[in-house]
Amino acid sequence: MQSAIVIIGVTLITFTALQMSGDPTYLYVSERATEAEIQRTREALGFDKSLPEQYINFLGNLARGDFGNSLSYKRPAIEAVMEALPATLELTLFAMFLAIVVAIPLGVLASLNRGSAVDGSIMTMGMLGQSIPSFWLGIMMIMFFGLQLRILPISGHVPFIMPLIQGDFVRAFTNLPQTLYYLIMPGFAVAFYSISRNARLVRSSMLEVLGQDFVRTARSKGISERAVVIRHALRNAWLPVVTMIGLEFGFLIGGVVVVEMVFSWPGIGRLVFNAINQRDIPVVQAAVVTLALVFIALNLIVDLVYARIDPRVKL
Amino acid sequence: MSVETAGRPVIVTRPMSHRRREFRRAIRSMVQAKWPVVAALILICVAIAAIFGPWISPLDPNRQDIMMRLADPLTEGRRNAFFLLGTDGLGRDVLSRLLYGARVSLLVGICAILVGGTIGVIAGLLAGYFGGWIDDVIMRLGDIQLAFPFILLAIMFLVILGPGVMNIIIVLGVGQWVTYARIVRAQTLSIREKEYVEAARALGDPTFLIIFRTILPNIIAPLTVIASFNVASVILSEASLSFLGLGVPPDVPTWGAMLADSRDQLMANKWWLAFFPGMAIVLTVLSFNILGDWLRDFLDPRLKTMA
Amino acid sequence: MRTLFRFGAVAALLGAALSTTALAAPPDNTIVVGLSADASTFDPAQISSRDNSNIAKHIFATLFRVTFEGEVEPYLVEDTKVSDDGLAYTFKIKDGLTCDDGEPLTAEDVAYSFNRAADPANAFTGNTPGFVYTTLGFKSAEVVDDLDVKINLSAKTTLALGMMAQVYIHCKDSYEKMTLEEAAANPIGSGSYRLASWDRGSQIVLEKVKDPGTFDTIVWRVIPEASTRTAELIAGNVDIITNVAPDQIEAIDASGTAVVEKVSGTRRMQVGFNLGEGVAGMPGAKEIQDPKVRWALQYAVDVPSICTQLLGTECERMTSLVNPPNGNPDLKPVPYDPDMAEKLLDEAGYPRGENGVRFNIRLQGPRGRYLNDANVVQAIGQYLSDIGVETEVELLEWASVYSPLLRTKEMGPLFFLGQGGVTWNPLYDMSLFSTPDAATNYQSWKDPRWFDDWKLALAADTVEEARPIINRMLKLFYDEGPWLQLYFQPDFYGVSNRIDWTPRRDEEIELFAAALKQ
Repeated sequence: MQSAIVIIGVTLITFTALQMSGDPTYLYVSERATEAEIQRTREALGFDKSLPEQYINFLGNLARGDFGNSLSYKRPAIEAVMEALPATLELTLFAMFLAIVVAIPLGVLASLNRGSAVDGSIMTMGMLGQSIPSFWLGIMMIMFFGLQLRILPISGHVPFIMPLIQGDFVRAFTNLPQTLYYLIMPGFAVAFYSISRNARLVRSSMLEVLGQDFVRTARSKGISERAVVIRHALRNAWLPVVTMIGLEFGFLIGGVVVVEMVFSWPGIGRLVFNAINQRDIPVVQAAVVTLALVFIALNLIVDLVYARIDPRVKL
Repeated sequence: MSVETAGRPVIVTRPMSHRRREFRRAIRSMVQAKWPVVAALILICVAIAAIFGPWISPLDPNRQDIMMRLADPLTEGRRNAFFLLGTDGLGRDVLSRLLYGARVSLLVGICAILVGGTIGVIAGLLAGYFGGWIDDVIMRLGDIQLAFPFILLAIMFLVILGPGVMNIIIVLGVGQWVTYARIVRAQTLSIREKEYVEAARALGDPTFLIIFRTILPNIIAPLTVIASFNVASVILSEASLSFLGLGVPPDVPTWGAMLADSRDQLMANKWWLAFFPGMAIVLTVLSFNILGDWLRDFLDPRLKTMA
Repeated sequence: MRTLFRFGAVAALLGAALSTTALAAPPDNTIVVGLSADASTFDPAQISSRDNSNIAKHIFATLFRVTFEGEVEPYLVEDTKVSDDGLAYTFKIKDGLTCDDGEPLTAEDVAYSFNRAADPANAFTGNTPGFVYTTLGFKSAEVVDDLDVKINLSAKTTLALGMMAQVYIHCKDSYEKMTLEEAAANPIGSGSYRLASWDRGSQIVLEKVKDPGTFDTIVWRVIPEASTRTAELIAGNVDIITNVAPDQIEAIDASGTAVVEKVSGTRRMQVGFNLGEGVAGMPGAKEIQDPKVRWALQYAVDVPSICTQLLGTECERMTSLVNPPNGNPDLKPVPYDPDMAEKLLDEAGYPRGENGVRFNIRLQGPRGRYLNDANVVQAIGQYLSDIGVETEVELLEWASVYSPLLRTKEMGPLFFLGQGGVTWNPLYDMSLFSTPDAATNYQSWKDPRWFDDWKLALAADTVEEARPIINRMLKLFYDEGPWLQLYFQPDFYGVSNRIDWTPRRDEEIELFAAALKQ
């Protein structure tokens, strides 16, 4: 129910926003179009109806899962979105993965060596990571790893999730190494900010936990430092990171738009950016609703995971 | 969704009664930690550039001379111009744009936080204090916004409103409010039942007075910490929007826009176009982060016991 | 540590990937082109963008085609008959043509191609039913016999064959079986390539089915960011890229793996003077009504310097709206002479005021639409301000803001614009000003001398016959026209050293003749 409210709210905002921007008919006629031709196109695209009428129509169709046809691609908008979604999921999930598996060891390392050079350099990196815009990082990486060293592909995408969905497991798994290879640079460009932030987050919550009674008790019982860190400290320290993950998705999607442009990644960010510029309302709607659903689903999963790792939370 | 309350480290603060002593303690802790002092000094420099930019910048930041475009740093220009940090793609002085840029970038950063903070604080206070349907409506609105990738919202509104400093501030500001609202709401919920609030209520103080006089001062500290981190992310968002062609108009210098404009020249080794605005952003963001860190450590008693 | 283990596993996987991956150039039978935008549809009647039709031209054949030199020549057509009144064209198409679906290509398919695009029931919004049919005055197409087809027009025009070169011929049987949605993704044409795969947003692969064409496979890769396109070209992964950023030309030329080919394009860049009602009352609108002021402003802008500094190439200033070599040869480009500009403005009655300002005016332009447009517009603003015409520059988003302003003729009073032109007929270029109220007469230029002559020029049987009138019109346009003349937009293509390919002037990318270097 709550999700339904969220979805309707999201579509209403999108709809009014894009309609406020004026008559989009001009985008779909040639430079020399006559008045009659413009009028004909307006009718063909359905922009001649009143706004409430257009929105009601839209909601009616939405209930049947139909977003209408994309104005520029002339095919169902949801199809265009579903085609772009897997690439974006690959990118965001990989970035999330990086934001966790790179950030946690770094944060732990820094906290265990508090005040040392290791700590200093990790935290400096962390600070830098939070002050470099992703497009710039992306272009610099392309120039360095792609052009100078030539060890990473400059741009492009090898699909993994798409063949997986289509049931072509052989192709999916033979693609996988390539998929990951092409993901390295865009993945880091998207995740760099989050890696930095999470590393700092883990460090400070580790420091906090390490100072607490139960850790001291564990230590005094003669349990090895490694065990203390893993079994007790770490388990508590990454709670704030898990909390972030649900919100992280929305945040990473933000970075995705820009990074997809830089690395010509065929994902939803670029699709929506173009659609907004083209006033292709059905595509924007379909994309936004899809992303909202993914976001809601992800938060649900996070809640479940959270309940598992934090015994204090009861669902 | 239980994300908003579960497990987030809740920052406990006490009513600030002994202000002067607190302040002295703050300065002492700052000096002790060393880096916050450096950060504060950097920010003071940036603030000076922002305030006095028009008086200290050597040239008109919008004066073009396309015959002198992409001049190296330390180049002598025509009409007695001297380009200490070189010129950009239209032959405008990079140093002057950097100094003017300090003003706009800080303005955007701080105003966006003020816009977002104000909306968020009011919404959070209302939600937390009154609860019930007000709480529901506000928090649902927040959910809607969070489910909506912020950058898409920003792109959509900027495409419609057109580029402009004001529009950027509004869009980036509105994008922030949920964070503040959630924190303020949680804090308000916990403070609402405290004795001194009960007391005020018993004395018959009007509701808004209770909210503003007793609750607000107690949550301002954690908000400052959040805000100092957010200024950084707003400056970065502004740069990303410039990259997409949705930033400020081209005659308005901002660090983010300068960095975005430099990307075509990166391959041509015109390093100064990216280096100086980049450094300005890094140093400013770094300083805000260091100060934010320090402020959090300072305000959070649990962490203090550590050292 | 489980996470660390997992991390290690991923690293190992990546290592394996690294060792097996070849970051090598494309194979010899393949050419790779990097475009800035994806195609949106392959329905022949829906295609409208330049990048989209560049790909489609390899899939669909046309009755005529415009050659590299800019002449219209027959492609599928063998013989052309025009009725005396010029309203009916009867074409005999070549014998033995085939469609991609295996059927023979006959007059029936040609008539179907023309009529399908015009059918209002389909509500098409592409270039063919819009621009082409409007310019052509298309009425109907009918089958005469197996190989003969008759196209009926509503008015006589010398542009007919050139316009027909833009109508994609496709195959009736296949299209009648498909829904419009299916047709958008499944082009069944008659050209030398067919669509093999289309990964939207990523790449489009074409496979050769017949001649002409040297490469077996053409890959069109979509790479929106200019720096990334350049990097891919230098790295040797892409053979041709479009829209090279002027500041990256040097880097490409210095790379040793690719060079930049420059052509003077046919797009006419100009600053329009809006003389119409749309800006009445705005600062500067009254002043530019005076042809002397317009003439003075021509001297204020240093076009050659804009080209060398901002566009990275040499260029000659335009003298009129007609592409060379069809212009009036007597007209010489207006030189950059700010003193002359100031003198003429003094004479016209607009001396500098106490603050050094003669009058204020607004200059609007799009950003991201034309080569380096934002910078060019700002530079022009500076040039005008330098001679005392205080210019406020406003850059607008093309699609949602600038384009509607153009339609309603409310932009300006000065506005930056580029309009596509052709090399095969001066009248095409001049048809922007076909009537005082024409949609493309954005300047609302109403000089009766031009429009009287226009009727005479159209009535002539051939362009040569109309030449004296055309020259007279162009002289008028040069002296008192509504354009501040700039340049024909140069087009930059990055071309790998592996490939032998010469770009065309008209923004078309034609790969039939491209070949590997020997």
